[in-house]
Amino acid sequence: MGRKILLVEDDRETSSYLAKGLSQEGHSVEQATNGQDGLFRATDGSFDLIILDRMLPVLDGLSVLRALRAAHIETPVLILSALASVGDRIEGLECGSDDYLVKPFSFAELLARVNALLRRREARVDPADHRLTVGDLEIDPLSRSVKRAGKKLDLKPREYLLLEYFARNEGRVVTRTMLLEQVWDYHFDPGTNVIDVHVSRLRRKLDEGFEKPLLHTVRGAGYMLAA
Amino acid sequence: MPTTLRIALLAGLLALLSNLAVIGFIYERTHDDAVASLHRQVTEQSKVLTDVYRSGGKAALDGAIQDTLAYADPQTAVALIDSNGRQIEGNLAQGPSVQSMQEGFHSAIIRLRGQPSPHQAEIVLSRLPKDQWLVSGRLVGEGLAFRLTLERSLLLALVVAGLLGLLCGVILAHYVSLRIGKIAAVANRISARDLSQRVPLSGAGDSFDRLGVQINAMLDRISKLMEELRLLTDSLAHDLRSPVTRLRASAHAAAETTDPAEQEELLTSVVRNADALIRILTTVLEISRSEALTGRNQFAWFDVGELAAELAEMYDPLADERGASLNYDAPKRPVPLYGHRQLLAQAVSNLVENAIRYASGGGEIDVRVRPGEKQIRIEVGDRGPGIPLDRRQEARKRFGRLDSSRSDEGAGLGLALVESIAHLHNGELSLDDNRPGLLTTLELPVHPPQSAR
Repeated sequence: MGRKILLVEDDRETSSYLAKGLSQEGHSVEQATNGQDGLFRATDGSFDLIILDRMLPVLDGLSVLRALRAAHIETPVLILSALASVGDRIEGLECGSDDYLVKPFSFAELLARVNALLRRREARVDPADHRLTVGDLEIDPLSRSVKRAGKKLDLKPREYLLLEYFARNEGRVVTRTMLLEQVWDYHFDPGTNVIDVHVSRLRRKLDEGFEKPLLHTVRGAGYMLAA
Repeated sequence: MPTTLRIALLAGLLALLSNLAVIGFIYERTHDDAVASLHRQVTEQSKVLTDVYRSGGKAALDGAIQDTLAYADPQTAVALIDSNGRQIEGNLAQGPSVQSMQEGFHSAIIRLRGQPSPHQAEIVLSRLPKDQWLVSGRLVGEGLAFRLTLERSLLLALVVAGLLGLLCGVILAHYVSLRIGKIAAVANRISARDLSQRVPLSGAGDSFDRLGVQINAMLDRISKLMEELRLLTDSLAHDLRSPVTRLRASAHAAAETTDPAEQEELLTSVVRNADALIRILTTVLEISRSEALTGRNQFAWFDVGELAAELAEMYDPLADERGASLNYDAPKRPVPLYGHRQLLAQAVSNLVENAIRYASGGGEIDVRVRPGEKQIRIEVGDRGPGIPLDRRQEARKRFGRLDSSRSDEGAGLGLALVESIAHLHNGELSLDDNRPGLLTTLELPVHPPQSAR
C-alpha cells in the first residue's frame, strides 16, 4: 500500500528523518527543500499527500498551499509548523490544509495523521451512510446505532462520534490530539488526561463482556480500533 | 540645529506676513492720489526745465526758471544750484544741501524766498552738466506731510517687524528646543538602559507637561512589562529546569541500562518530560500572543452557552473519575458573544481543569454562564481549599503556582493564560471566595473590541 508523498521541508535533519521513517512504512518519498521547488513538484498532481513545512525559504508554506488550491490541485496537505498557538493552527487550517501538526512532534503522531489523510482520500468515494463494520461491531451512521455481536450498544452522542471516528480509521493509530481535533474540534493541548477518560468509558461499553477487545491502546502513540 | 532654524524662520516669516497685512491695510487707507499727483507735478516740472537746458543752455534755463516762478503758484520751488551749493537762479531762501544728496525724490525742509518759516517739501534733484543741480519741488500741506511721513515709516516698520519676528522666532525655537531637549535627554538616558528615568515636569501644566506625563505613564507601563518579563524569564528558567533535569537523568540512565524493560520505561519518561517542556513553551507562546492581541482577526459570533455545555460534557467524566461532580447550569437562551471560540474554549477548560485539580475529596464543581446586556459572565466554582485573599494576585501571575509541591509542570501558567485570553477580549478574570472554595469568573464584553471589527 505504498503511496507517493511529497515532503517539503528545509531542515535537512528533520527531512531525512521523516523520509526514512515514511519509506520504512512503504511509502515513496520525494523531497523538496524550498517552497518554490515544492510547488513546482506538487503541480503535476501525482502525489497522494504533501507534507509541507510552514516556514520555508523562497516561498513560505501557506503561499505554496494557496497557490496549489488556486490551481485546483486537491492533494491532501499536512502542514508542519513551529508556530504552535491556537490562532496559528486555525490560520493554517483555514488556508486549505487538511491537517496541521505542531513541531516538535513524535513520529508516531505524524504517521497516524499521514495514514488518516491517505485513508480519508480512499474513503472519499464511500457514501456517508455506508455501514461500518469492524469485526463483530456494526455501525450505522444514518441512524447512529451501534451493535456488537448483534447486541445494541447504548452510547452517548459524543461516545458515538468517537467510535465512528475510530471505525473510519480502522486498523490505524489515532492519537489523543487527533481525537480532540476531530471529535471535539478543539485545537489546544489539554493539561489533563480528559481524552483518555472518554476513551476508557467508550471501551467499557464496547469491550466489557466480550472476549476479544476491539479498542486497543498503542503505547506512546494513542489508540486503535481493530478486530 | 536645522529644526530650530526652521522654527525661527517660520516664526519670522509669519510675523512678517502678519505685519505686512497690517501695514498694507494702513497704506491702503491713507494713500491717495494727492501724493501721486504731487510727485507727477514735480517730475514734470523738472523734466521740462532739464529739456530747456539741454536745448538752450544755461541762459534758456535761467529764463525758463524765471518764467516758471512768475506763473506758478506760491508752493512751487525751483532752483539752479552750482557745485558750491550756491543758488544761481531760483526762489529758495534756505535749501537742501544738494552736495550730500543723490538724484531723485527727497523729502526736505526748505524756506522759499519771501516766506517767514521753512516748510516741508517734496523735491526732485536732477544733475546738470558742470556739477550743477536743478531743484524742482513743491511745498507740502500739513495733512499731506503726515501721510508722506507715514508712508515712509511704514516701509521702515516692515523691515523692523521682519527683524523682530525673526528674533521672536529664535527665542521661541530656543524655548521649544530647551523643553524638548529635556525630554530627549531622558529618552537618551533610557536608551542607555536606565528605565528609571522620568521626564521632569515644569508644573505649568502646559502641553509640554502633558506630553511629559504621557511619556512617564508609558515608561511606567514599560517598566512594569519589563519587570514582568524578567520575572517570566526567571520563572520560566526555573520551571524548565526540573523537567529538563529529569529528562537528562532519564536519557542518561536509559543509555546506561542493559535491561530492555527498564530502558523502555526510562525512554517513556524522557518523552513525558519533553512533552511537559513543550506544553510549557506552547502556553507561554499562547500568553504572549494573546497579550499582543494577535488573533482578533479570528473573532466571530458564537454561542457561549453551547460552548460551556460542550466543555462541561467533555470534563464531566474526568471530574467523575477524580471523585467530583460537575454541574452545568445552562442558560435558557443562546448567549451570543463575539470572540475567539478556540481560545475561550481553552480558557474555560483551564478553569475547569483547575477546579477539578483542586476540588480535593469529591467536591462539587459548578459551571455557569450568566448572560447580561453588556457583559457575559462565565463562572467556574469549586469546593476546594480556595485561595486566600492576599494570595489571589499571586495566583494569576505566570508561574504563580500556589502549591509548589505539585509536579504537573506548567499548571501554574493556567490562570495567567486565562487572564491573557480575557484581555484579548477586553475582559477580566476575577478570583473570589466561593464559600468555601474558589470562584473564578471570566467577565467578557458582548460586543467586539473596536479594533476587532
